[in-house]
Amino acid sequence: MRSSVAWIRWGPSPVSTIAGVLVIAGLLLSSVISYWFLALTAVGAFGPGILREFGWLKDQDEFKRRAAHRAGYHAFIVTGLAAFFIYAYTRSGGTFEVATELSLVYLGLLWLTWMFSSLFSYWGPHRTAFRILIIFGCAWGVFNIGESLTNPVSGLMELLVLTVPFFLLAYLSRRWPRVAGVLLIAVSLFLLGYYFYPGHFGWAPVLTKMSTAILFAGPLVASGVALLRPREGQTVAESDRPDEHHESAQAVGAH
Amino acid sequence: MSYEIRSEVRKLRFLHGEMTQEELARRVGVSRQTIVAIEGGRYDPSVSLAMRIARVFGVPVEQVFTLYDTEDERDSRVRSKQSDAQRIIPPGRTRS
Repeated sequence: MRSSVAWIRWGPSPVSTIAGVLVIAGLLLSSVISYWFLALTAVGAFGPGILREFGWLKDQDEFKRRAAHRAGYHAFIVTGLAAFFIYAYTRSGGTFEVATELSLVYLGLLWLTWMFSSLFSYWGPHRTAFRILIIFGCAWGVFNIGESLTNPVSGLMELLVLTVPFFLLAYLSRRWPRVAGVLLIAVSLFLLGYYFYPGHFGWAPVLTKMSTAILFAGPLVASGVALLRPREGQTVAESDRPDEHHESAQAVGAH
Repeated sequence: MSYEIRSEVRKLRFLHGEMTQEELARRVGVSRQTIVAIEGGRYDPSVSLAMRIARVFGVPVEQVFTLYDTEDERDSRVRSKQSDAQRIIPPGRTRS
């Protein structure tokens, strides 16, 4: 009972809720009415940050502020690197079929980096990596089960090849985090190399390839890097249990 | 040189009537997650927060947070292992 109460308390803050509503409303309205409604999404995504920087919104304590600032710096590094590669690609004769969507790819990279970095700070890298792998495994599982409704054999094969490895890696990440980290990075690099190798998936526009790489390989690379970092102390989530202070009391007592 | 801040917050909470993280967080004006991160060694608090925590426990801030030189500690650990090994295997003899 107490844990369910704690879970309710853990829910998003009013600011996050309003920001989330604005982001979703902007995305929906822009696809139905006008792309200018994306302004709502921008306000939802970046508005709270602007207000916090000006000191008009004080909904975060110093730990959360530091996590947000760190995540912003990580996003700066990743998108800065991406910008250089994109610039080099276009200057050396490369083109994008749908250049207007380049900014979307860029935003996706920015947002995902920011989000993962925030989660790594908040939950700790190991727990975040575990949760990312479970979420990915579940997403692929739902997708493969849907596939298997029309073609049971290929669906089952895909389930074994695409879904099961995520759960295995999640299990490995708990027992042998570094092994799982190396495996995740190796698998991601292999997939990216195979995907972007000249001639492979030649039908796919470069932007589609980039979006797929960011959405699928990005979280895996991030999890792999996180798992290779030295294990830190107890994470927030590890002591999210309401009776945590009793356990700590026992630990101190034993000491 | 590398340094690490170690906190005694968890121990002090216990010594202060098993104060909960929630209660401490409320009294110093941060979220419970911040206290958890400090206790877990994932977050070094600002001077202001460190002093507020010390004030709640009524002790000097040095009693709550200690600065450790991790290299010194590593060296002393190696030295202690070496002396242990010498005690087990006297000089001049090798393991067969």
